Amino acid sequence: MKPESRLKKVLAAGQFAVTAECGPPKGADPEAIRRKGNLLKGFVDSANVTDNQTGVVRLSSLASCVILREEGLDPVLQMVTRDRNRIALQSDVLGASVLGIRNILCLSGDHQSFGNQPEAKGVFDIDSTQFIRLVRQMRDEGTILGGDKLTLPPELFIGAVENPFADPRSYRARRLEKKVKAGAEFIQTQCIYNLPYFKEWMEQVRDLGVHDRVSILGGVTPLKSVKMAEYMAKNVAGMDIPEEVIDRLKGVPSGEQKKEGLKICIETIQQLREIKGIRGVHIMAIEWEEAVAQIVEGARLLPRPFVQ
Amino acid sequence: MITAERKPLPEIKESITPYKKVLIVGCGTCVAECASGGEKEVALLASALRMDAKKEGRDVEVHEITLDRQCVYEFIDQLADLVDQYEVVLSLGCGAGVQAVAEVFPKIHVIPALNTTFIAQTKEAGVWIENCRGCGDCRLDQFADVCPITRCAKSLFNGPCGGSKGGYCEVDPETPCAWHLIVTRLEESGRLQKLTPLYPPADWSKKEGKGPRKIVREDQRH
Amino acid sequence: MSGASIGRPFFPRVMTTKQRAPHFAIFFCQQLDPNQDVNRRALEKELGSRIRFFPLPCSGRIEALHLMRALEAGADKVYLVTCPVGACRYREGNIRAKKRVEFAQKLIQEIGLEPERFELVNASLPGPFSVDAMARELINKAGGLAPSPLNVKKPKEAAHNTP
Repeated sequence: MKPESRLKKVLAAGQFAVTAECGPPKGADPEAIRRKGNLLKGFVDSANVTDNQTGVVRLSSLASCVILREEGLDPVLQMVTRDRNRIALQSDVLGASVLGIRNILCLSGDHQSFGNQPEAKGVFDIDSTQFIRLVRQMRDEGTILGGDKLTLPPELFIGAVENPFADPRSYRARRLEKKVKAGAEFIQTQCIYNLPYFKEWMEQVRDLGVHDRVSILGGVTPLKSVKMAEYMAKNVAGMDIPEEVIDRLKGVPSGEQKKEGLKICIETIQQLREIKGIRGVHIMAIEWEEAVAQIVEGARLLPRPFVQ
Repeated sequence: MITAERKPLPEIKESITPYKKVLIVGCGTCVAECASGGEKEVALLASALRMDAKKEGRDVEVHEITLDRQCVYEFIDQLADLVDQYEVVLSLGCGAGVQAVAEVFPKIHVIPALNTTFIAQTKEAGVWIENCRGCGDCRLDQFADVCPITRCAKSLFNGPCGGSKGGYCEVDPETPCAWHLIVTRLEESGRLQKLTPLYPPADWSKKEGKGPRKIVREDQRH
Repeated sequence: MSGASIGRPFFPRVMTTKQRAPHFAIFFCQQLDPNQDVNRRALEKELGSRIRFFPLPCSGRIEALHLMRALEAGADKVYLVTCPVGACRYREGNIRAKKRVEFAQKLIQEIGLEPERFELVNASLPGPFSVDAMARELINKAGGLAPSPLNVKKPKEAAHNTP
């Protein structure tokens, strides 16, 4: 059976798509990723696997995606430009396609100084936007950088990320446009807690006409506790968690905070569904993949649609 | 200028332990500017090494000289009459200076006393910030005269990334985000459309070279 | 070394902890005492080579090298006396002075000397100020000061062999 991107089909059918993130293990352990895949199966259209996120060495995204495919999921290969030069990137793009992976998310990646290999050389031969264009070129023109022809082009649905909450805010909608022009076909945003601002950003995006040319999936991450919320607000760059959200968590006893966090997440998704130009949700419940099922169910996104 | 920092004293000390007569050679150009290898710094280091030797009852003669530039033969030649009297030269030049001196005087042991670091501008007295990485393909005018290779931690050409916050870089909150600066400058001068086209992948071969890079100017040669 | 005078019987040399009296170098801002050239003469006469005064137009003009050279020349303790905090005629001179003293302290620490051998002293308000009174106070306070390791005769180490 020919591998195809389920995500692409769901979006093409005009359905509200659901994707979620899977964090690979810090070891050569296929079971760990298999288990997570099975937690998501049936609740998502596609599952992202992160690529050595925060510069911490983990089982490769490519290997993990192959295992997810074996489990019957439609994986989204996240690939950062921090660790590979253009030779390796192009080669791995071909490799992913050959192994049946049909979605790729092109990112620059977190700087190597954050992880457990701070002495590593960050490659950054090309950036995420150049990478998007490159994959598009490989797929649609059948050539690599420099113009040499591929014997067989890769088949991949191309995605990118955008963070509406990073600075400079005035430029964020235009930056998204740039990625779309470069060839991005779907976007997964950084997790959203500040809905009023997100709506403003979407307005700017719509004014540029970008929402029609790309499928935007709003990112969400369920908060487990006040501590987690405060940590993220303070330490994670580009995170915008309004006081009201943290206060909501503070307003419930600590044993209830997880439940409240899930509630907030579900409400966010419900609001996202109302925003013109939002075509889906991307759930990043890192190390809490069990929560995805509850979230999808609570947001009334079950069952996932049948697509040909 | 090229910046450098003096190596920790224990390291320098260990490198000259076997010797009884040391000539410290400074450089009056870049490393003088960044207060690591100029005449003053030569004097400070000499004083410290002499006191250290005295304290331990060691006999060491430490002498001082500073060349205008340590990477140019014309100035290095000024050492010709001196250098035979010494067992070792402790160089406070940048890496280029150390190697040039060693080349001119192959029989002398030349030891670096500095760690050469980067190309910088003087931001304020005592503060030097890297702003050029010698990529060999300067396109500063495409980026509002802010080098994205040097000043963006990820060397993005189509930035900013998602970690730019309040004008600062997620990697070091004291470092201004280069892309924030680029976007702001272009916005303020009404030239933001400069960022519309995708900036294509760089030609890194101009930076990497095939081993050490070289410039040859026939019109300058004798 | 104090000690033998004419007529004393010969005694075998005993290992004592008799050490040479401390030597001082005092750098100071001459704005503190306009008559410093006169006021310092008494102490200079009393202590001879044991004291050296270095007036500066502003304490901020001190360089680490001055302090290093004073120590190298035989001082056991080097002071820098600045105007009171906030009272520098040139505004930040005494603030700059503090940074330079700290730099010099780090440098001698690297070669195993006590950073306290360089000491910054802020003259206290109100005046008037006499460099003589200040110096005497500092010398008294430094009563138990051990001599700088540079000024203690060490047995010469065995000749090094070049590796």
